[in-house]
Amino acid sequence: MSDAVRVTAMFAEAEACAGAIVALRAAGLQAARVFTPFASEEVAQALGARRSPVRLWVLLGGLAGCAGGFALTIGLSALYPHRTAGMPIVSIPPFVIIAFELTILGAALSGVVGFLVHGRFGRDAPVPGYRVEFSDDRFGVVVDCAAAEVTRVAEVVRAAGATEVSHEAG
Amino acid sequence: MATPELGYADVNRLVLKTLSPPGRRYWLGVACLAAIVGAGFTAWMYQVRVGLGVTGLRQPVMWAFYITNFVFWVGIAHSGTLISAILFLFRTRWRTAVYRAAETMTVFAVMTAGLFPLIHLGRSWFFYWLLPYPNQRGLQPDFRSPLVWDAFAVGTYFTVSWTFLLMGLIPDVAAARDQATGWRRKFYGVMSLGWRGTDEQWRHFSMTYLLLAGLATPLVISVHSVVSWDFAMSQLPGWHSTIFAPYFVAGAIFSGCAMVLTLLIPMRRMLGLEEALTAWHFDNLAKVILGMSLVVSYAYISEAFMAWYSASPLEIETFQQRYWGPYGWLYWVMVVCNCVIPLLLFSPTIRHRLRALFVISIFINVGMWVERFVIIAGSLATNTIPSQWGVYRPSPVEVTITAAGFAWFLMWFVLFTRFLPIVSMTEVKEGIRWQRQAHRAGEEAAP
Repeated sequence: MSDAVRVTAMFAEAEACAGAIVALRAAGLQAARVFTPFASEEVAQALGARRSPVRLWVLLGGLAGCAGGFALTIGLSALYPHRTAGMPIVSIPPFVIIAFELTILGAALSGVVGFLVHGRFGRDAPVPGYRVEFSDDRFGVVVDCAAAEVTRVAEVVRAAGATEVSHEAG
Repeated sequence: MATPELGYADVNRLVLKTLSPPGRRYWLGVACLAAIVGAGFTAWMYQVRVGLGVTGLRQPVMWAFYITNFVFWVGIAHSGTLISAILFLFRTRWRTAVYRAAETMTVFAVMTAGLFPLIHLGRSWFFYWLLPYPNQRGLQPDFRSPLVWDAFAVGTYFTVSWTFLLMGLIPDVAAARDQATGWRRKFYGVMSLGWRGTDEQWRHFSMTYLLLAGLATPLVISVHSVVSWDFAMSQLPGWHSTIFAPYFVAGAIFSGCAMVLTLLIPMRRMLGLEEALTAWHFDNLAKVILGMSLVVSYAYISEAFMAWYSASPLEIETFQQRYWGPYGWLYWVMVVCNCVIPLLLFSPTIRHRLRALFVISIFINVGMWVERFVIIAGSLATNTIPSQWGVYRPSPVEVTITAAGFAWFLMWFVLFTRFLPIVSMTEVKEGIRWQRQAHRAGEEAAP
């Protein structure tokens, strides 16, 4: 039988939650997961989170959209030459408008794909430690630890301001 | 202040209450709107069967009600992106409670706008000729034409607006899922894509949302600029003007913010959202409207000045016709609605009276629709050849389809309000946290 235990601590405020993450780290423990009802800068800073790679998806999507826009307009105008209003067949200034729109389109759609890929979305599967209170008004810190450490974890998170601490077999 | 007494849990309670099953009066209202949409669809089918001759479109006015509706609805869409994206980048706090409604309005306004070029085509089934595809005639859509730019711009705007709205909905729909039962739980479960609010999910969400806001900002300005170039790129006096892009963008924000007021004031009462949508939000929206009204007024004066300063007889005659010609009375209606009545918003007392704001917003909606009509049909009616001049009068088919456009927009908006969260719970909670932090900082700074 495994002695792994999952401790879940609830907090009423983001600051207390962030404080618990820092205190856990100082005590040599690690928060496995944090749940928040809204985006919290304090929690993100306490976790020392890296910047999301979605940025790269947006950049590449935008570049692809831009290249696609110019390829579409220049390529098709050259393939099907049809002179209007005395303008050159390949008229770059008006083509910039279409390339710009496709840059935005490519970047936005690519960013959303990146978000779905990195956030591992798509399945409504349970996440260990999740409680419905975390989409309401509570902040949660989940710590995976050995059974012998449960008391110490509980002490650290209570000292940081946890309103409720519970544990279950992990 | 925004929402002084609300706690985080109160926000969920308030907003999720709006998702309770609606009553008979609600469905009766939806049925009435659907009936008007049905009448418009019937009128459109009649036009398809008989031809564009059933409209009032005659030489020289071949763009009138339908294109007016297109420009008006694209303009309405703009304030949604202003409030949701541009004010997000500036971290404007009053936007949190109103942006979802404005963003929803954007999506349905673009949906409505997109219908009108199709209806105006006459042979609507050939809409795909705008798309670049190889064909036997060896012809491609002309990428140098503003109409093709428009197809790309509005198509991109439609896609990005939907994406932005759906992205922002994910955490709120997850909160709705956690409280819902039955089919709604399944529906919200699918829509929330498995969101649980973990630190990893928020990390990617925040970055994606920020970048989408950054992308939507230049996009929204480009879209109405492109729409304005549909006119400004032509040689027609009254249309051919370099100020059209900023003029149209300012008008779009102006009319869109007014439409937000028109929708939010009754919605707030019907859905019991008085605690979330306070006088503070409406006061700020009214200030934006007032600012935009001054910009639009400046544009009207600038246009007149440039016509006089150009010393071009064609320009001068066009503007004289605009002020004193067959549509002159509409021009002065527009000036009163867009330039004079909004000046009342200088008064803080009026900005805090919701009924007064509602009435003013209706005047602005009317004024902005009339502005589009005066620019489009008015300029065409008095073109460069006086012997061709003519007055356009809308036919019952056009009036019915225009009314159906309003009903179509309202129907989708009303349906949205009872099935998806119309106020962003996560962002209102962030607003509460800001307030608490500011309150604490104030207490600490106090002697």
